Formats: sequence, structure tokens, C-alpha cells
Amino acid sequence: MRPTKMMFAAGLLMFLAAPALHAEEAFLNYKQYCMQCHGMHGKGDGVNVPAMNILPRDHSDNKYMMSRTNTEIYKAIKFGGPAVSKSVKMPPWDDVFTEDEIRQLVGHIRTLCCEQELVRGVNFR
Amino acid sequence: MKRLILFSLLAVIVSPALASAGEDGAAILKNRCASCHDLKGPAPQTIRELWKRDAPDLFYAGNKFRREWLVEWLQKPVRIRPAGVNYLRNINSTPPKSQKGKAGRKFDVLWGEVLRPLKHVKLNRAEAEAAADALMDLRPHYELVAGKKLDSKVKVTLDSGELLIDKVYGCLSCHQIEPGYGGYTGPELYTAGARLQPEFLLSYIDRPKNWDPKIWMPNMHVKPDDLQKIVHYLILLSKEDFDASN
Repeated sequence: MRPTKMMFAAGLLMFLAAPALHAEEAFLNYKQYCMQCHGMHGKGDGVNVPAMNILPRDHSDNKYMMSRTNTEIYKAIKFGGPAVSKSVKMPPWDDVFTEDEIRQLVGHIRTLCCEQELVRGVNFR
Repeated sequence: MKRLILFSLLAVIVSPALASAGEDGAAILKNRCASCHDLKGPAPQTIRELWKRDAPDLFYAGNKFRREWLVEWLQKPVRIRPAGVNYLRNINSTPPKSQKGKAGRKFDVLWGEVLRPLKHVKLNRAEAEAAADALMDLRPHYELVAGKKLDSKVKVTLDSGELLIDKVYGCLSCHQIEPGYGGYTGPELYTAGARLQPEFLLSYIDRPKNWDPKIWMPNMHVKPDDLQKIVHYLILLSKEDFDASN
């Protein structure tokens, strides 16, 4: 009985801890690379904003962010603004992040904008 | 007895000066720079390591700086990065109430140490020359600058260069091209041409990750022609007199 319980506990721990680890990685990356323009709370109000003629996206803007698919956000991070018909002020980060890191960042951005929809299990495509 | 006191006083006053005059460049680096600057390498490999960095890495200073600039700067140190070496330590998300943002929005502000003048060791002329010589000997990244060469045929004007920096590659979001004009999280560009070797500029803009794996400067995939133009522009820009216009 006991080993089964242990295994069950270990399995549960792995199931719970793995996304948490990813979440931390994604948050570190967001902090290091995104906060300079998108702001410390992701509201598109970073320290560099006074220098910009085009404002960075407000990641907490639920209405706008729900109109974007995960694929579009992924493309914007990987290939930069022009890949999704936006400004060059959003640079391409393909040389900085790995594929996994970009996917985790998309997930992190979804937690900033659309927590309720995540809980409800909306398919972001 | 009086003479003895006089001599001992004199010895106390003069000996540190003599000792510092005798200090060679390597000793200056070891005693006065190494506590903040990394002189050995390698560059930080993870984000957490990067956050521990207190001052710019100097272990590839010989690949990076122009000697004449180092000599001048070490005598009169001023801030080069408006938001500090690690911008995350120097920003604050609660701006003062008086601040009016763009379109009614408020944005993060610089905060703390970077609002005061830079605290840095000052050297005299002889010490600065010696330290600069010692710094110029630190050249571990020869392979990264080996193939790079500034094409002297490329012609660029201040206007066309600014167009590239601002509209085509968006460098202006993080870098300043004149005092107070541009973003904060990168080092100022109006002194870059005087500060850095052209080969280093070519190599660093081409792929910042090669020099500093976790730096927050993206690889903009600058086309080779534009790269030459940008570096020419930076050199041209550094010859402008910014004090005259203010």
C-alpha cells in the first residue's frame, strides 16, 4: 500500500511542479527582456516608453488580447512586430529564446491578460 | 627632534603617492577595478548570474574599447548607461503623481542610484595611461572580431543614419542618440563611435549574444550593408559637439 501511495504522491508532485518550474523560467525571461518596454506589470508602460512614437502592447488588456491567437503572439515574439503587421519597435527574439521558451512566454502572457478564460478552459488556438 | 618629526611626517605624506606612482597597470586593475568589474570572464551564462553583475565586464576590454577614450574617461568618469548596468535594479513602477504619461497613461520611471552622478574611481593621467594599457591587453575574443572590417567606401549622413537607427531597426527605443533623446535601458550611442572599436561594433550589433549570452539587446538581423552604414553613422555621430547645441 505504502509504495503505491508514495508513487502516487511523486507522480502528483511531478505533474504539479513541472508547469510551475516553466512558469518561473517564463517569468524570469519576461522580467529580463520584456519589462524594459512592456512595463513591470505588463501594462505597456515600460521605462523606455517616453522615447517611443508607438506604444508597446498592454498585456493586461483583456479585450484586445482575447482577439489575438496564441500563434500570433508566438509569431510576434519570435519574428518581431513586422511579422504580424505591427511596428519594428518590437524586435525579433528568435536568437535569444529557444522554441520552448517562446511557448512558455506565450503562456505567461496569457496569465497576464486572460486568467479567467484560462480557468474556464478557453481554446486560444 | 623637530627634524625627526618633520621627516617622519614627510615620509607618511609622500610614501602613498610614491607607491601609487610605482603601481603598474595590472596592479591598478587588480586593486581598484576587480572588486566590481569582471576581469577574468566568462560572461554570465544565466539570467540569475547576470543579475549579480555590478559593473560592465572588462575581461574583453582590449577587443572593445578605444585606448584614447579609456584614458580620458578614467580621469573623468561619467555615466554611460542611463538606467545603470542592470536596469531592473533601477526602475520603479509607481511614478510620482505629477507625472503625465502619453495618452493619459503613466509609465515606469528611473529610480535610485542612477538619478545621482556616477560613483567611480578617478585616476590621474599616469595611472589612467597605465590602466588603459593593461586593459588593452585583455583580448580573449580575437575570433569574434577577426573577419570584421569597416568598409571605407560606405557613405552615410546624419539624417540617413538616424532613419536607420530610428525607423528601420528601432534602436532608439532603448538607446539615446543625443543627451535625453531616446530610451534608457541601453548605453548611450552618441559616444559609441568614440568609445568602441569599429570591429567590435560590427561584431556586437551583428550578434550581441556572442559577447554577452543573456544580454537584453535583441539580435535585429541587421543586413551587412546596413551594418556598415550604422557603424559609420555612429562614428560620425560621436564627432558632433552636443554641448554646443544645448
